Amino acid sequence: MNNAAANKTGILERIRRDNNNVKLVIMMILCLLVLAAATGGKSATPNQLQLIAYLFPEMGVLALGMMLAMVSGGIDLTVIAVADLSGILSCMVMKELMPPEANLAIQLLVLLITLIFALAVGAVCGIFTGTLIARIGIPAMVATLGASDIILGIAVGITNGSAVKELPPILNQVVNARLFGAVPSTTIIFAICAAIVAFILNKTALGFKIYMIGSNKAASKYSGMNNEKIYTLTYMISGMLASVSGLLMCGHFNSARSDFGKAYLTPAILICVLAGVNPNGGRGKVSGVVLAVIILQMLSSGFALFQNISDYYKNLIWGLVLILVMIVNVTSERRKVWKG
Amino acid sequence: MSFKKILKRNEFYIVIIIIALSLIIQAKSGQFFTENNLVDLARSLIVPGMMASGLFMVIASGNIDVSFPYTAMLCMFGVTKLFQTIDYQGPVAAGFLLAAVIGAFLGLINGILAAWLKLPTLIITLGTCTIYLGFTQGVLKSSVISVLPTPLADMAATNLFSVRNAVTNLGSSMPISIFLLIGALLLVGFIMKYTMLGRGIYAVGGDPVAAERVGFNVKAIRIFVFTFCGMMGGITGLTQVTLSGMCQINFFDGYEMTIIAAVVLGGASIAGGSGSVIGTFLGVLLMKLISNNLILLGIPTNWSKLMTGVLIIAGVCISSYKAVAAERKITSNILDSKSGKEAAHE
Repeated sequence: MNNAAANKTGILERIRRDNNNVKLVIMMILCLLVLAAATGGKSATPNQLQLIAYLFPEMGVLALGMMLAMVSGGIDLTVIAVADLSGILSCMVMKELMPPEANLAIQLLVLLITLIFALAVGAVCGIFTGTLIARIGIPAMVATLGASDIILGIAVGITNGSAVKELPPILNQVVNARLFGAVPSTTIIFAICAAIVAFILNKTALGFKIYMIGSNKAASKYSGMNNEKIYTLTYMISGMLASVSGLLMCGHFNSARSDFGKAYLTPAILICVLAGVNPNGGRGKVSGVVLAVIILQMLSSGFALFQNISDYYKNLIWGLVLILVMIVNVTSERRKVWKG
Repeated sequence: MSFKKILKRNEFYIVIIIIALSLIIQAKSGQFFTENNLVDLARSLIVPGMMASGLFMVIASGNIDVSFPYTAMLCMFGVTKLFQTIDYQGPVAAGFLLAAVIGAFLGLINGILAAWLKLPTLIITLGTCTIYLGFTQGVLKSSVISVLPTPLADMAATNLFSVRNAVTNLGSSMPISIFLLIGALLLVGFIMKYTMLGRGIYAVGGDPVAAERVGFNVKAIRIFVFTFCGMMGGITGLTQVTLSGMCQINFFDGYEMTIIAAVVLGGASIAGGSGSVIGTFLGVLLMKLISNNLILLGIPTNWSKLMTGVLIIAGVCISSYKAVAAERKITSNILDSKSGKEAAHE
């Protein structure tokens, strides 16, 4: 009897602990139903769902990087700048390297080199930002604000603000590929990135330390952790994720520009907040980010089906949702503390 | 104030850099110390100077606001459109009052959210700024207004005095709104230096918990600084209209960065609790001096964004490094005294 009761509370306890993910799943189903009802089923056709699966990774990979920074108690505003810069640089490199009329194997090899190059650019940018934060002691927000101007400044300076065009077709082909005719390759790339981040956060010492440093910087320092190294690594990984997202954008638009990422900053932060990542640090799950990004893309693609909602209203809605979610999160948290 | 004390102040070094820069520009072009250039410079200081004075308070209280350019944008289009639709012919001051009220209201929203949610104010204001942007573009359907309503057009045409450069035959005129800048700087200077509220803002920026224990109403202070910053944003938006004679959606693009950079360059610590209005003004002057003369200084305009970033990082690096060094000194002092005690024990 006692045991059964304990078991029951155990399940309830688990649902309560995973509260946010349950909420997100309910929200996702609601969104799907409401949008389907409002558009007469247009938003739930296989084509539309494929489109959502194709588009959400650009935002999602950025959000994963943002999440890491937020879990460590900071924020990474450079993600969009890093995505733009590494997109531009790696597209230039790819154009240089690609021999004319290469066969598929060589094309894929060049693409692989491009990817490694992009990751390197992202890592360098991340280490730069991380160093500013960890070693010089600039608050993450200002450091990343300034660094994003520097990084974006380089991107604008190199390209004069114009686009890098006439890319080798392989990038676009790979990004647009559908596995088994249904699953977009971008979804797979996102899944790989999410799995890596989840692995780092849950299974490695580094992940544990990132949570620790986000909960209490001083405590982690006095328990002998190398805070500087952890911060630098966090922002390095975030930069590398951003560069992956940059390549996805370049593949999607089949060109590279210094203002592709601009529209993604607020959504990336919104995804993290929606996912239950605590902006003050120490809490956040990859599963939440995955759910949140799918919800957001569902809404975004759903709005696109309404002819009379202009793109400008999207900004308004994103902002409103962000503020509302923060209010709900904070009040529910306080109620929990009150009860406990 | 003794000379030694002056040497320690941030403002002293900014003044030196400003003098050096103007001498370099004068040497390169020979056109810096001309009447029209100086008037032009003063003119270009009005809008960023007013915004910076509002933002300085927010930063001094340990918060940040990135929504003020969007507040300015919203007020600019809102008031101008309203004047157009009702064909307003009265005094222009009513427009500024209205802009101030709308701006203060938008700032109040930021302030209440910041005080209530206790989340990073960057995220809060990032959220509200997209709302303001979406409202301006979506609901108000704004992009360009090229013909201003009469009161605003009249103000745009009124000048204090005009000067003309004899050599280049370029003229420029001093707008009345320079008084708004002077007024804003004096007001902020007075509040920060001579009122309990100002002391409270510094105290909250230094350590909110300590400020609360001392008896400051931390929530009210937070709400006040954001409201004030929003009000400044609103007034600035309308000032920009009278300066340029039109409304354009991209007037304030990237302003959040430039103004934050200026305030930080002026010696206000981004963590809060320090800075002065004179320093803020000097920071704005330095930023404008550089951005107006990029080409003369040998920097192509394409790289100007990079310059803002480098300036902001350089400015923050110095103050942060000072703070970190001070902290290290304290820690090592404590450790030293501890080991000293232990040694005495043994």
